[in-house]
Amino acid sequence: MDIVSRLAGVIGSENVSYCDSELQSYGVDRTTIWEGNPKAVVFPRSVKQLQDIILFANKYSLKVVPSGGRTGLCGGAVANNSELVVSMDKMNIIKEINLDDRSITAEAGVTTQQIQVAAAENHLFYPVDFASSGSSQIGGNIATNAGGINVIRYGMTRNWILGLRVVTGSGDILNLNKSLVKNNTGYDFRHLFIGSEGTLGIIYEATLQLTEPPKPSTVCVFGVEKFAYLTEVLKICKSMLQVNAFEFFCNNALSRVVGAHQYQRPFDTESPFYALVELENTEIETETVFEVYSKCVDEKLITDGVISQSIDQARALWRLREDISETLWHFQPYKNDISVRISKMADFLNDVSQLTQKNYPDFEIIWYGHIGDGNIHLNILKPKNLSTLQFKSFCDGVSMSLGELISKYEGSISAEHGVGLLKKESLRFSRSEDEINLMKSIKKIFDPNAILNPGKLI
Amino acid sequence: MKAIVAVKRVVDYNVKVRPKSDGSAVELTNVKMSINPFCEIAVEEAVRLKEKGVVNEIVAVSVGSTQSQEQIRTALALGADRGILVQTEDELEPLAVAKCLEKICNKEEPDLVLLGKQAIDGDNNQTGQMLAALMEVGQATFASEISFTDDAVTVTREVDGGLQTIKLKMPAVITSDLRLNEPRYASLPNIMKAKKKPIDVIDVNEIGVNVDKRVQTIEVQLPPEREAGIKVENVSELVDKLRNEAKVI
Ligand SMILES: Cc1cc2nc3c(=O)[nH]c(=O)nc-3n(C[C@H](O)[C@H](O)[C@H](O)COP(=O)(O)OP(=O)(O)OC[C@H]3O[C@@H](n4cnc5c(N)ncnc54)[C@H](O)[C@@H]3O)c2cc1C
Repeated sequence: MDIVSRLAGVIGSENVSYCDSELQSYGVDRTTIWEGNPKAVVFPRSVKQLQDIILFANKYSLKVVPSGGRTGLCGGAVANNSELVVSMDKMNIIKEINLDDRSITAEAGVTTQQIQVAAAENHLFYPVDFASSGSSQIGGNIATNAGGINVIRYGMTRNWILGLRVVTGSGDILNLNKSLVKNNTGYDFRHLFIGSEGTLGIIYEATLQLTEPPKPSTVCVFGVEKFAYLTEVLKICKSMLQVNAFEFFCNNALSRVVGAHQYQRPFDTESPFYALVELENTEIETETVFEVYSKCVDEKLITDGVISQSIDQARALWRLREDISETLWHFQPYKNDISVRISKMADFLNDVSQLTQKNYPDFEIIWYGHIGDGNIHLNILKPKNLSTLQFKSFCDGVSMSLGELISKYEGSISAEHGVGLLKKESLRFSRSEDEINLMKSIKKIFDPNAILNPGKLI
Repeated sequence: MKAIVAVKRVVDYNVKVRPKSDGSAVELTNVKMSINPFCEIAVEEAVRLKEKGVVNEIVAVSVGSTQSQEQIRTALALGADRGILVQTEDELEPLAVAKCLEKICNKEEPDLVLLGKQAIDGDNNQTGQMLAALMEVGQATFASEISFTDDAVTVTREVDGGLQTIKLKMPAVITSDLRLNEPRYASLPNIMKAKKKPIDVIDVNEIGVNVDKRVQTIEVQLPPEREAGIKVENVSELVDKLRNEAKVI
């Protein structure tokens, strides 16, 4: 009997798929470099089944790829080497909303958006949000410690995890932190699993902290003449306003989004860069925006600006930023998701733009990102005449010089997307050899037979 | 040509409204208020007519609370020249609003009065029609296209079953439908300039119209929740359910 049929015998054939189309679609995430080629896809429906799968994989030395919504951008959920994909799609129940604790407990396969909606229905708020929240799963968010558009005010996914339940690579079931607010009883393994990219165990349930919903917000878009001015504008905004989000994008990004979706430009004057600022909609904040605007105009930092007059307009302005990633996807962009401390941002941006001008003079480069968090997404679009592999190997080369620069600034080669397959070679620019060796030792403890996500992260 | 545009402050279109806990009215505390979307379209149209040189002055008029000045400011930022607020803290019915607007029009003598086809709070769809009747001028409601020839205006109207094109003498009252245009964003420089544009505030009691309420609100409730749909396995089951349970065929 072949191994897949044997597995079907263990967890039921209705929970195993090996039809070609599913193998292909479950074998890839949102990166466009690798083609899916897993052995099979399994859909556990209970912890018991999940544990059985892991024990089975250990016994028969099967490699396992934990799989969420597959919206990841670094190849973390890619299975291109006869692995077994363990999809959490069928463990998708919201188990409890606890109003006293202000928490929600859900299985890993619940989508980020379902969490947001369930919170809102109870007059509460789950603040982690980004353009892929309709498909990304809470398990995937935790495994990548996802960031998004509200980080400046609310922090990353890590800040919102009260408790985790996981099956480790060796098949142990752990209940981490038991959703306690205070629990100083030694090493907090919960935090090891957050951002572990499926290399230590499979998260099957999580309890998330919820909070007060924010007041309605107002969105402004400013036209900014120079890269370096963005950080000046950020400084002024932060000193005068309660900023919920501070994002930026370049004119190419705007033109592509506006062109693809027939959106209205925010204003007629074209600027090389745009800053999008979200504020709480209070009278004081809106009055202060005018002061901010005048100050920035006086200092010649910004050239034009708009402010939303309705929720519709606020959403429409957000779409200019949020739709960039999906719009660019069709151009198979090579994505760099980098960060430095905010105080070093201005100098760093300068050096990065010099580097890209030198190295990619003929490529279309698209800049955008969460600049309020010191995080920029640098996307290089693939020219039609290059094959995917040619393009990737060229970009990989340049990533090395970018890595050197990031290392000099003590920044991160992956601010929020994770390392996966895509950034593995660059990890050394952000983490020391000693650190990487320690990570490998930790992995051995939780996953002694190295069945989980081989070849990823470390 | 002079245009008057009426603008109303309403609960933002995207807010999910809830009744107050005592059921006396819709809860408005901490709720985002905006310019009525149809009014915004009317303002945009006036501004486009001004940009084309058809209109040379735009007066934005609101009948409402002190805070309605915010929505007048929005209209001024989009391109209106000055504002008038007929101030009242009560909620006026369409007829009372139409009478207030009539008084303003008598004084301002506009060639064109633009309104939204309805305000999304009460969904009454009456003010424009009543105003035209009071002023004894022609009306073109649900406009999706407006063009001018000498002293007449041609308006394409969205009616059930299609489009109707009519020609009116001026002055005229026109109410905007959704497809008339897509309003622009209010730019910050224009909002700053708008701060310097004048807004006249007139107390509703000084305008000399009867604004007494004729309708009394007894209670505000949420509509009953819709029951979830069901899935049927096949056509015969569907037909069976339609015939025997829903009794519609
Ligand atoms: C349009 C778009 C916009 C995006 N914007 C942002 C953004 O602003 N900020 C941001 O941080 N990310 C962003 N992303 C990236 C992505 O959405 C996030 O990384 C998200 O958290 C991935 O979740 P997922 O469920 O799709 O995970 P997947 O892609 O399925 O998996 C990601 C990693 O987690 C592992 N994994 C998945 N589920 C589990 C589990 N249950 N247990 C253990 N390991 C698991 C996988 O093995 C893989 O290594 C964006 C993506 C797109 C397509």
